[in-house]
Amino acid sequence: MKKILIGVFALGLLSACGGANDENTQKQDTQKEQVVNVYTHRHYEPDQQIFKMFEEQTGIKVKVINASADELIQKMKMEGKQSPADVLITVDAGRLGRAKEQGLLQSIESEILEKTIPAYLQDGDNQWFSLTKRARIIAYALDRVKPEELSTYEDLVSEKWKGKILIRSSSNIYNQSLMASIIANDGEEASMDWAKGIVANMARTPKGSDRDQVKAVVAGEGDIAIVNSYYIGKMLNSPDAEEVEAAKKIGLFFPNQEGRGTHINVSGAGVAKYAPNKENAIRFIEFLISEEAQKIFTNANYEYPVLESVEPVQDIKAWGDFKEDDLELTKLGENNKKAVLIFDEAGWK
Amino acid sequence: MKQAGSNNKTFSLKSRLKRLKRDSNRWSVFTLAIVLFLALPIIFIGVELFSGPGETWSHIVKYLLPDYIWNSLYLVFFCSIIVLLLGVSSAWFVSRFDFPFRKQMEWLLILPLAIPSYIVGYAYAGMFDYGGSLELMLRAMNMDFVRIDIMNRAGLAFVLSISLFPYVYVSARAFFLNQANNLLEASKMLGVGERKTFFKLMLPLARPAIVAGLVLVLMEVLNDYGAAKYYGVNTFTTGIFRSWFSLEEPETAVYLSALLVVIIFALILFEKWQVRKIKFTTSKASSTQIQRRNPKKSLKALIFSIVFLPILLGFILPVGQLIYWATLTASTVFDMNFILISLQSFGIAITSALITVFFALLLIYFSKWSSLRFIKNIARIGVLGYAIPGAVIAIGIMIPTLALDKWLIEVLANFGIDSGLIINGTLIALFYAYAVRFLAVAYNPIDSTTLKIDDSIPDSSKVLGVGNFKTFFKIEFPLIKTGVFSAVILVFIDVMKELPLTLILKPYHIETLAVKAYEYASDEMVMEASIPSLFIIFTAMIPVIFLNKLLIKK
Amino acid sequence: MLKIESLSKTFDKGKSYALKDVSFDLKVGDVCAIVGESGSGKTTLVRLIAGLERPEHGVIYLDGNEIASMDKFVQPEKRKIGLVFQEYALFPHLTIFDNILYGVSKLKNKKERVQEMLDLVGLSEMGKRYPHQLSGGQQQRVALARALAPKPSLLILDEPFSNLDSMLRTQLRNEVFDIIKKTGVTVLFVTHDTQDALSVADEILILQNGRVVQKDVAENLYINPNTLYVASLFGNTVQINKNIQSAFHCPLNEECCHAIRNEKIKVNPEDDGSDCEYITKAKVLKKIALGDSIQLLLKLDSGEQITVLTQDKNIADTITIGFNSKDILEFNE
Repeated sequence: MKKILIGVFALGLLSACGGANDENTQKQDTQKEQVVNVYTHRHYEPDQQIFKMFEEQTGIKVKVINASADELIQKMKMEGKQSPADVLITVDAGRLGRAKEQGLLQSIESEILEKTIPAYLQDGDNQWFSLTKRARIIAYALDRVKPEELSTYEDLVSEKWKGKILIRSSSNIYNQSLMASIIANDGEEASMDWAKGIVANMARTPKGSDRDQVKAVVAGEGDIAIVNSYYIGKMLNSPDAEEVEAAKKIGLFFPNQEGRGTHINVSGAGVAKYAPNKENAIRFIEFLISEEAQKIFTNANYEYPVLESVEPVQDIKAWGDFKEDDLELTKLGENNKKAVLIFDEAGWK
Repeated sequence: MKQAGSNNKTFSLKSRLKRLKRDSNRWSVFTLAIVLFLALPIIFIGVELFSGPGETWSHIVKYLLPDYIWNSLYLVFFCSIIVLLLGVSSAWFVSRFDFPFRKQMEWLLILPLAIPSYIVGYAYAGMFDYGGSLELMLRAMNMDFVRIDIMNRAGLAFVLSISLFPYVYVSARAFFLNQANNLLEASKMLGVGERKTFFKLMLPLARPAIVAGLVLVLMEVLNDYGAAKYYGVNTFTTGIFRSWFSLEEPETAVYLSALLVVIIFALILFEKWQVRKIKFTTSKASSTQIQRRNPKKSLKALIFSIVFLPILLGFILPVGQLIYWATLTASTVFDMNFILISLQSFGIAITSALITVFFALLLIYFSKWSSLRFIKNIARIGVLGYAIPGAVIAIGIMIPTLALDKWLIEVLANFGIDSGLIINGTLIALFYAYAVRFLAVAYNPIDSTTLKIDDSIPDSSKVLGVGNFKTFFKIEFPLIKTGVFSAVILVFIDVMKELPLTLILKPYHIETLAVKAYEYASDEMVMEASIPSLFIIFTAMIPVIFLNKLLIKK
Repeated sequence: MLKIESLSKTFDKGKSYALKDVSFDLKVGDVCAIVGESGSGKTTLVRLIAGLERPEHGVIYLDGNEIASMDKFVQPEKRKIGLVFQEYALFPHLTIFDNILYGVSKLKNKKERVQEMLDLVGLSEMGKRYPHQLSGGQQQRVALARALAPKPSLLILDEPFSNLDSMLRTQLRNEVFDIIKKTGVTVLFVTHDTQDALSVADEILILQNGRVVQKDVAENLYINPNTLYVASLFGNTVQINKNIQSAFHCPLNEECCHAIRNEKIKVNPEDDGSDCEYITKAKVLKKIALGDSIQLLLKLDSGEQITVLTQDKNIADTITIGFNSKDILEFNE
């Protein structure tokens, strides 16, 4: 028994040391093996497929480091010149903007990226590039709400929605970016009123994830929920039968179609300022824009591809085309802090 | 020359300084050095306080601080009640009565400690959710599903309590098993009945032990990040994370940390005040083992249910839910990478445990070998890290290690060496942080084991001409082996479960099971979180059962 | 070979002294007993000598070398003093043989020395056993052997017989000191039992409240005690207070304190022709038969109660008792 224990301990110790070694050799790796160090906030399984494909095609090893964008940005800031990061991938434009603002990214030259990605989906200085799009839509109970009743985000503060709105916590980045877009489009004062109005109409204190809001709508706690589009796709194809059932009972509405368009956010990438493997980083991002990668993003993760030649997957295609708010995505990052402060003051938990 | 008698001059400053010079030895210095090393993160936080909070501080004070304070008070209050009820009652019944499966329940009651509280939180949230186990079960029984919303303060208090009550259970049980018998017998001889004895005699005397366990629970409650975040309850720790990451104001995070530390110290002082009134030393020879009563059948059933309830709530239900989820997600989650992560977690935990225990031994023995009495008191400061939430320690460590690294890099650059970050963002910083945080966990079992060895034993060794180190290796260490082993196990379990500190300090290519579970849950993939959670639980369970066998042997 | 000068120790920065200005000498080969009640400071004294405590004042010399003073302190492991603890403190995880071997592991002929010690204490065949397998008396002998093995110049025994019942006590006391005397080592031993001290010690040092009251050979302590306390240690004494003085018509110097040993009080002195200078009548309250003699509890006219012993079988309800001035003890308290 003792021997087994000692053996397992030793094995564990070795792995820990192995992990430690990794860190120190990262910078020296370029001589022996080609790598690209990717700092990503995306935790979706389909990404692994994409990384594998890249490795097979180019022979460049993808070293993935997962953490929330906030943490990654904080760390890169503190690591300074010594940061081993090559690529930063976030699930929100605001964070990309913040990374740029903090001087953590660098401008790169890439014809492929410049030509394939629509202008409004990339940074003017070529410091970051969108990979996928997601819309923040209104999910409504098919048996209780008619789509004619819905129109804009701003309309949600009216009396008729009292006690009917389900939306997650203000601490979530998707809400913060939505708020940032409202600040940019409607101004600070109006945004404060909007936030307070939403709080007054909430069916319950914010809790849980986007999917939880949908489930709550189906259960009758509220009538509408504000969620990201790809979650609906994921629920429709979930291994959990309950989720599939729930998703079938809701309808999807794109707000502000008559006006500026539905708020969209992006998942995007940029090359780190002190990237030790800059060339590999550029190739990597270019690969993420390729047809193969874009297909996986939409087919497996239900996001809207950025590459125009790739069709969105059937499920989301069924929702139809929609007008997107073409607000400069950088504004999402710029207004993030204001958004958080407005949330706090409005009492949006 | 004949010596003059001792007089007031004996205690003059001059004479005292002279004796201080005579009595100072390297052990005093080493002990101080170690204590300083361990206290560094807190010192840095203290120093940072002077640079003032960030610009959002007044905003936080106005809109968020009241929330943090009320929620923390709420949690402290309600968790205390639930934990005391569950912990003390189960400890008493298990010690005093005989009932079916008593022996098994004795160690089953400790098992909830193997499950991190945030994981218990995820499990229960899942159970009570739309489409969750509770709903499915009720539907199968043709009953209507009435949704009980658990994702709030009350739910959080419940979840934290049922996962942390074992701390009180273990303390109370140790008392009842070892100290209670003499009191019981004396009380009986005086004609006092059992129930009165329990409430008027047993409980008050058990208070120091119970309060000690309770303080551990409350420190964990205030340290929690994962569950509070998931349940949407704003606490100091969630506030600290928010300031640090979202608002990007480390200064504000430091301020919140300082406030939190003040609250915790208040708790500890409260404990000391409580215990002060009941100043009695336990004799080294423990009293006889408590006798067990054999109650009648109906009472046995009742007692069984009371003792079974916390096991059900704190272990069986959550683990059951997790196993169910695991069956749904095993194919996606369980792969080579996952095995690697598990081994990494494991390796980190065991290394940290060894390092921490090493420091604890240094602290305990260096302070013993120092001949200055106040050194022994100062050594105890080293254990305060346990009172500081992991997030705070992480922040306290990042600041100096980054500064040190930047300096080292510059120095090395002068020699033309381009090194990466040496300390910060590496395992070294992480191990350091774990040692600071969990020193108390290693210190206490080892210290109490050393207390069981009469001083005359190491004294004999010295008198026989053997110095400090040799005495330690030949005499003391063999005799404290069980304490050291317990210490390694306890720290191992705690590191496996640890979340907030790890989230902030871990090197980016290192994943631990705890972080993986948290990430899945944060990404709305809470079902997938079940597999890493179960791994943590099973790796923690084995030592817990081991430990219990050790404790029983005493 | 041991010289203690003005040694003082306090545990609360001088509010109270565990030892105050203790001074005495020991010559090579002396066997000296330190007698005192619990709390008198005897254990503190031996711990200071062994090096397990540090003094606040005073100097300790061992074989002419300063081992403790205000600016010097020699560690216990360097002092070569043998110490037998009250609880024996045998190492529970080592065999008897290894316990004794422990202090002589650097010796060339260590194994022979250990066996020699085992033989000395009469436990020749017990080497392989463990402490918990031995009786109290046997453990004590092992502790002794272990302390003697390194051939220390000074051996200290701390309450060596306190843990034993009285029958075992006497037997062991004789055995242990026979062994010790064979080695010729200088001995300091601590006890609260005067009988122990009287049977084996050359000199006795009396400690009271941390201070040395008297150090002398047994005879002198008996004949010329410095204080009432010392006198009472060696037999029951009756303090001759004013009441007793008047009862016996025995006026004494007011400045001093006086006492008489109970055994020096004669019962019915006129019966066997011996005369006493001071006599009085006393009522017999109780008679207790103690084997050969009878113990009488008496009450004087003044109300005082006194206990006396007598061989006389015929005791009336009222008897005469008396004593002589040569037996009166005088102290300058």
